[in-house]
Amino acid sequence: MKLEGRVRKVLEKYPAYNLSYEIRDGVVFLYGRVKSYEEWVEIGLEVGRIKGVEGVVNRIVWDGYPAEKVKEREERRKRIFEENKDRVVGSYDVVIVGGGVVGAAIARELSRYQLRIALLEKAPDVATGATKANNGMIHAGVEPPRGTLKRKLNVRGCRMYERWAQELNFKYKRVGSLWLITPRTLEKYKRFLPGPLYTLTLKYILPYIVVLKGLINGVRGLRVVRGREIFEMEPYAARDALAAVYVPWTAIVDPYEVAIALAENAAANGVEIFTSTEVVGFLKEGDTIKGVVTNRGVFLCRFVVNAAGVYADEIAEMAGSPEYTIHPRKGVIVLFHRSTGSYVRHCLAEIILPPPPRTKGGGINPTPHGNVMWGPTAVEVPDKEDVSVDPEEVQLVLTRYSTALSEFPRDRVIRYFAGVRAATFTEDFVIRPAKWVRNLLHVAGIQSPGLASAPAIAEYAVQKLREMGLELRGNPGFNPFREPTPSLREMELDEVEELIKRDPRRGHVVCECEMVSEAEVVEAVKRGARTVDAVKRRTRAGMGECQGARCLIKVAMILSRELGVPLPEVLKEEAPLFDGYVRGEAW
Amino acid sequence: MIEVGKDVVVVGGGPSGLAAAVKLAELGCRVAVVESGDELGGILIQCIHDGFGTKLFGKALSGPEFASEFIEKLGELGVEAWTRAHVVRVRRESGSWALTAVSPKGVYRFSCRAVVYATGCRERTPFEIRVGGTRPAGVYTAGLVQRLVNLYGVLPGKKVLIVGGGDVGMIVARHLHLEGVEELLIVFPEPWFAGLPRNVQQCVLDFGIPFRPRTTVKEIVGKERVEGAVLVRVDERWQPIKGTEEFYPCDAVVFSVGLVPNASQLEELGAEIDPRTRGPAVNEYFETTLKGVFAVGNLLTPFDYVDDAVETAFIAAEGVSKHLSGEARRDKPIPLRPGPNVRLLVPHRVEWASGGDITLFLRPYAEKENPKISVRGSKGELYHDRRRYARPSLIERVELPRSLVESSPEGVVVDVE
Repeated sequence: MKLEGRVRKVLEKYPAYNLSYEIRDGVVFLYGRVKSYEEWVEIGLEVGRIKGVEGVVNRIVWDGYPAEKVKEREERRKRIFEENKDRVVGSYDVVIVGGGVVGAAIARELSRYQLRIALLEKAPDVATGATKANNGMIHAGVEPPRGTLKRKLNVRGCRMYERWAQELNFKYKRVGSLWLITPRTLEKYKRFLPGPLYTLTLKYILPYIVVLKGLINGVRGLRVVRGREIFEMEPYAARDALAAVYVPWTAIVDPYEVAIALAENAAANGVEIFTSTEVVGFLKEGDTIKGVVTNRGVFLCRFVVNAAGVYADEIAEMAGSPEYTIHPRKGVIVLFHRSTGSYVRHCLAEIILPPPPRTKGGGINPTPHGNVMWGPTAVEVPDKEDVSVDPEEVQLVLTRYSTALSEFPRDRVIRYFAGVRAATFTEDFVIRPAKWVRNLLHVAGIQSPGLASAPAIAEYAVQKLREMGLELRGNPGFNPFREPTPSLREMELDEVEELIKRDPRRGHVVCECEMVSEAEVVEAVKRGARTVDAVKRRTRAGMGECQGARCLIKVAMILSRELGVPLPEVLKEEAPLFDGYVRGEAW
Repeated sequence: MIEVGKDVVVVGGGPSGLAAAVKLAELGCRVAVVESGDELGGILIQCIHDGFGTKLFGKALSGPEFASEFIEKLGELGVEAWTRAHVVRVRRESGSWALTAVSPKGVYRFSCRAVVYATGCRERTPFEIRVGGTRPAGVYTAGLVQRLVNLYGVLPGKKVLIVGGGDVGMIVARHLHLEGVEELLIVFPEPWFAGLPRNVQQCVLDFGIPFRPRTTVKEIVGKERVEGAVLVRVDERWQPIKGTEEFYPCDAVVFSVGLVPNASQLEELGAEIDPRTRGPAVNEYFETTLKGVFAVGNLLTPFDYVDDAVETAFIAAEGVSKHLSGEARRDKPIPLRPGPNVRLLVPHRVEWASGGDITLFLRPYAEKENPKISVRGSKGELYHDRRRYARPSLIERVELPRSLVESSPEGVVVDVE
């Protein structure tokens, strides 16, 4: 009853619209029509903030709502469903939908047990959604609000990373973060803090509030830094920094490398990974899922994990347990040349309160390979697949973050890209058994700090599956370790010499910018890369300053040879790189 | 480890590197060429069109023909060349240089007294001109497309948009037209093509390829594969004019938006980089700020004619032999500074105590008819030379008597007025 009143109160703020609602087991369904997409987001968020709301399914439409496209998508799914619903691929204990870092982490965690597991991914490679467009920061857990699942899993996840990195052999650097407090930090409140009070607050009060926030969240070891020490730690930090808070736990990784490592290790421990496999529906008996229908056929199953990222709401809907709507939040990241790495040592941010809306949560951070990233931004977008970058947003990033550093070669941008966060209106992770389907586990709404939380999310999800009735018997053959791929760029020369003797391809440099050998590309293909971008994510070929202008063909030729497909049919990510042979003939 | 001792190692087996090696061998140096690609010839291998060598040989050769002139000479002179060898490390060791290269045959270690860098240039990417939109399959740089079509027989698309009105863009447009691309459009922000007039005629006008001046690409559209591009008109300052956006359907976008010297290895070594050229700062014999390390060809700045690039290699070869014989340098180099209408100037200083005349290459900012190339010292104008015209798309070559520069030890300013 109380809940109803609160929801009604929110909707009453929009008297111009005829909005209605329905509440089922704590999930609020919203109906009606509004003018703008912004309002759609706003209403959803307001309802999501109400205490006791466990999910918001926002069925309101806005002017310009792509009804045609939605219908087309549904019909396409229906068609594929009908074509494949009678063809059984196999029978599994657990089917995981979604091959991002979360899906891969859950798969690997489950592979510790004697289970038949299938991981289904729509794209030709794992880690192609939000995972690949993440800035790779492993947050310590200071920021998430108290009482959220995010906070709990972030703090725990961050602590688990080092072990993950050792077992899975991905690059991990605990660089720590430094949050700068400058005269710009509280500019919006300056009028309330006259004269010396402003500087005093910035220097002696605010830093301790941040430290306290950390302590409350369970993150210890935060330290206030002042004066010269700031510049000893971060030589190019803004000259006017008054104080800084140092967070020693923050680390950096390559997000796609983490997901790929997890997937490879999961596969080595028996998980079957199906790429280019899109879920289009479910076979059900009452409130139980019996099979997951895909373009490849039906995966019979006992349990289903929904880790479908931005599509999680559609999967939930198809399964019959719609409990949340994803409102995609796009983030743009600007990547700088490796030569800029010497300018930034920590994950660096200038605290600005209240956070500027479009750049909330972003910052400056080094990458494990010595590049520097600025961003991401945060912009609500109607289209889940909208990864376009507006040049003005690049400019916004360059302007917004340049005050944190006194000197930085801002012109050395080598790339910018965007990803879409899978935010729900309750803005917390949704990891729980479905309310209206017996054997479906939601692992949805995993936005920042999802990457940092991933190890804990996996652990938590497996615990939930156990509570749902999945019996876990240890897999005696489980091997937590993943063999690293020797990288030419990182090897000692005598080591290189030895390897070349055994395999001359070790000495054939394919990507000159990042020094990637032919052997590394071949190894990537052996480990499952099927596309140029998949090779890029595994080897870094094409990630340097020429952005693949020189190595793209070489990589494509190797793929063509190793996979036995003609050059024009080699894929970039999902589409062929080239158009076809000149005058239609192969040479 | 395969140890090789030489007087000079040339890094890069493109036209400039080959030319340097040939000249050095002729001067009696023991020289080796290290090339990272599968074969010698560099970018010329993919340039099957003609027009190379008009200045040097007095005839228009194709790229491979031009390269083979030098490759043959190299063979005659017995110069050793290593292909598929990628230089990974360079170190100074008591007066000499040690280069380590990785190749399928093993790790090479070259020790030498001088290094000539001839690593050429790379193409600017769409990111460097801040193109927005998505990053699907079907976006290429022009050099990549040229390679693709000419060496691999593969087409980038059926309806191709070419961004950039320079020489590379026009030449690629013609190739694509001849190889059966159905629809082509060239767009560029300048009021007219920025490339050589002969290319405008022979590549674009003769084939009736459509083009739009004062236009650029704002966004790439397409999820997996290019579906089109948003074109926008630009004003005199190349700023997009709001409201003039237009969707152009195509399945490939080819960028030909400038070249940048491949100077990262030199930069890492500590050589000074000129922010104008983005190549190394060099003296009159094209020696970088690292003694004994020279830079030639497009690594200095992208040249319009391979003939000019090759000339820098010949001059550098003389410098190398001066270095090897321990000739004297000036106590204080004389700086060569660009004037207000000079976008870039190579070389950057006169450093040797003696030598021949000084060859300068410069590119003006603004187009001028009947301009005067002037050289001013502290006491006023030292030299001037009238030209028929000067334009940003053409590098001007100037030869200055050494005595003239030496008469102004504080430096000279070169301008196009």
